[in-house]
Amino acid sequence: MRFDNSIVVAVLFAFVVGCGGNSLPEPTPTKPNTQGENTVPESIPTKPNTRGTIGYSALMLTNPFFQEISANMREAADAAGYELLEVSADSDVKKQADQIDDFIVRGVSAIILNPADSQSIGPAIQKANAAGIPVFTNDIAYAGQAGQVISHIATDNLQGGRLAGEAMLELVGETGGKIAILHFPQVESCQLRVKGFLEIVEAHNTSGRGGRIEIVATLDGAAARDKSHDAARDIVQSHPDLAAIFAINDPSALGAYSALEAAGKHDQIKLIGFDGQTIGKQAIRDGKIYCDPIQFPDQIGKKTIEIILQYFRGDDVPKEILIPTKLYRQTDAVADPGLK
Amino acid sequence: MPSMPEGSNAGESKKRASRFSTARWLQPFVRDYGMLFVLLGLIGWFSVLTYTEQHPTGVDAGQQVARQIMQQQGAKARVLIVARPTAEDVAFTSAMATELSDLGASVLRVVNGDPKAARLAIEELSESGKQPTALAVNDVSSRWSVFAQSATTRDLPSFKPRTYYWPNFLKLSNLLGVANQTAVYAIIAIGMTLVILTGGIDLSVGSLVALASVASALYLRDYQGGAAAGLGGVVVGSLIGIVTCMVAGGFNGVMITMFRLPPFIVTLGVMLMASGLAFRLAGGASIPELPRSYFWLGGGTSYGIPNPILLMVLLYAVAYVVMSRTVFGRYVYAIGSNPEAARLSGVPINPCLIGVYMISGCLAGLGGVVLSSMLQAGDPKFGLMYELEVIASVVVGGTSLAGGRGKVLGTLIGAFIIAVIKNGMNLTNIDAFNQKIVLGAVLLTAVWLDTLKRGGWTAKSNR
Repeated sequence: MRFDNSIVVAVLFAFVVGCGGNSLPEPTPTKPNTQGENTVPESIPTKPNTRGTIGYSALMLTNPFFQEISANMREAADAAGYELLEVSADSDVKKQADQIDDFIVRGVSAIILNPADSQSIGPAIQKANAAGIPVFTNDIAYAGQAGQVISHIATDNLQGGRLAGEAMLELVGETGGKIAILHFPQVESCQLRVKGFLEIVEAHNTSGRGGRIEIVATLDGAAARDKSHDAARDIVQSHPDLAAIFAINDPSALGAYSALEAAGKHDQIKLIGFDGQTIGKQAIRDGKIYCDPIQFPDQIGKKTIEIILQYFRGDDVPKEILIPTKLYRQTDAVADPGLK
Repeated sequence: MPSMPEGSNAGESKKRASRFSTARWLQPFVRDYGMLFVLLGLIGWFSVLTYTEQHPTGVDAGQQVARQIMQQQGAKARVLIVARPTAEDVAFTSAMATELSDLGASVLRVVNGDPKAARLAIEELSESGKQPTALAVNDVSSRWSVFAQSATTRDLPSFKPRTYYWPNFLKLSNLLGVANQTAVYAIIAIGMTLVILTGGIDLSVGSLVALASVASALYLRDYQGGAAAGLGGVVVGSLIGIVTCMVAGGFNGVMITMFRLPPFIVTLGVMLMASGLAFRLAGGASIPELPRSYFWLGGGTSYGIPNPILLMVLLYAVAYVVMSRTVFGRYVYAIGSNPEAARLSGVPINPCLIGVYMISGCLAGLGGVVLSSMLQAGDPKFGLMYELEVIASVVVGGTSLAGGRGKVLGTLIGAFIIAVIKNGMNLTNIDAFNQKIVLGAVLLTAVWLDTLKRGGWTAKSNR
């Protein structure tokens, strides 16, 4: 049995080393201090890579949106002399809280989060506060009172929703008609998108210009392709004369498209998405989606690091920074060098 | 069968004893708790990997920096002290300020704040014409770029505490953190161990965690006034969460015994129903309106040790006694080893199985209460995939999925192996995707070990 166990130990270690081999003890940021009694005063580190580390717990690193935020933050952090540690919470708030514990043990200079839950992440933020580590959020805001977040950087989803509403007026403003919304009501950012969208549509209806736009269905598409497919299929069943659908992100717009195609309605029912993920942009180029208000994850990432640097310089930092979206149409997609 | 020592097989152990006659006395221990050596090996391994420079703060560090300054500059030193507003850093700055004044140097300004507070203090100093001769900082504040922004501090010699080397992994705060992080899984894993020992499986525990957290939080919010709830309400609320899950566990047991449905299917069904119920009750949102006293169990400490750890240790002690010293414990092993033989020798199989599933539900409920207390909210999204995490702990701890063989304390070791690997990988920068690969490999290795135990290298033999 002892023999068996030693083999197991060897295998375990082989795996751990195999995966961690190129990230063994990170280079210690400051040069080893002079020992002995006559300590020479050390000047403030000015060289790059001596600034420290920043911990980033992403909502999920499998999502290209967070990958892009992460990549841009890494680049900006590198340039400023910080090392970025990325971990993925996989939407599990307990896992994220554990990751924050680990960041505190490692003594990171700052923590960036996409809260896996806007409320329950509070105690973990409090722990970081107690350890004196400044906490920043991006994309998803912390909604509780207990913890203290220095600054939040996100897309202006309300403005994006309004842009989607204006795009909808281009489609059906003159004629009027029935439209539907594929919602994801659990998430605040999607609530804001729909709120902005409804503002524009209702303003159009009360103005009395053009035709009346009637919202015949608002269904939960769970921001996912499969659920949105089913929801869109059901909407088309009950409203065959539908004119357009607003979907709160690209996967749900594409899920809806597959349902429309199966029902032979993809020429009649126009789609407006949100996000500007690559799959969404490709669909816009191919005419499957009419247009998207697109987010700029690269700017969110860069801005987050910029704000952290400002904080360490002792400058005032705003509590919230909203990055506006832009409408992305087929003409943009055709000219987009990123879609070759 | 029930009277035999748990989890062992006389013929097999005799055979092994002759094969490894050199360390016969170690044998039973190695067989049952061999994974302990794996755990110790991992602890050693991660201690080596995380051996890094440590940057002290606090009273001793403060006094030491003060003496450094005195040595360099003597009594004419005029010092600006900057650190964060945390308790440790306040101790650092005030100890230093006291020491400096005692030794005759002057302290121009003590800042315990963020970089902005430091900037304001520096601006104030330069406006009033006071030029410091030394900047006293700790490692964290030394990295702030605020000092490079002003002529007053740009070229100032800075002093910080001497560093030393120690593994990040072996810091007391980290070890307690690892134990605290794994406590919820480990508590649920006790019940899962019992279930697996009977040859069953309980997939519902993750959803029951969510259900318990929601049931407790809802009761406290809707019937006890939320944050204003008293201690009695908190106790009742916690019990409601636990009892709800115990009932669900009892339902599992009844369906499995009375209706002879496979445990996998029954608990899969209850997993879906419990999750749906939790989402329905909570309306899909988290419930943060809870009183402070509710946070004691998951977030408080006793004797300097976080309460979840103490609860986990207590429960494992109880489970160890129950499984090794009581008739019920023997029955559980007997049912898992050979149900037919157990039935013939008069083991009350059905009541025992129902009891085991109730215990599993009850502990999942307790886990849910601890988790919601720790995270200060009830939430139907809690407990996602916990069933797999917990089953992994049980299997890595050496309990056979075929039933009848395994130890409760082995499960505790298994839970810690997984927790240590996760924590160690986080501390050594292994990325999220590789972490999954490693954890999967650990699980496979554990199952492989299980088959080795049963059948030797080739594992051709019967179970």
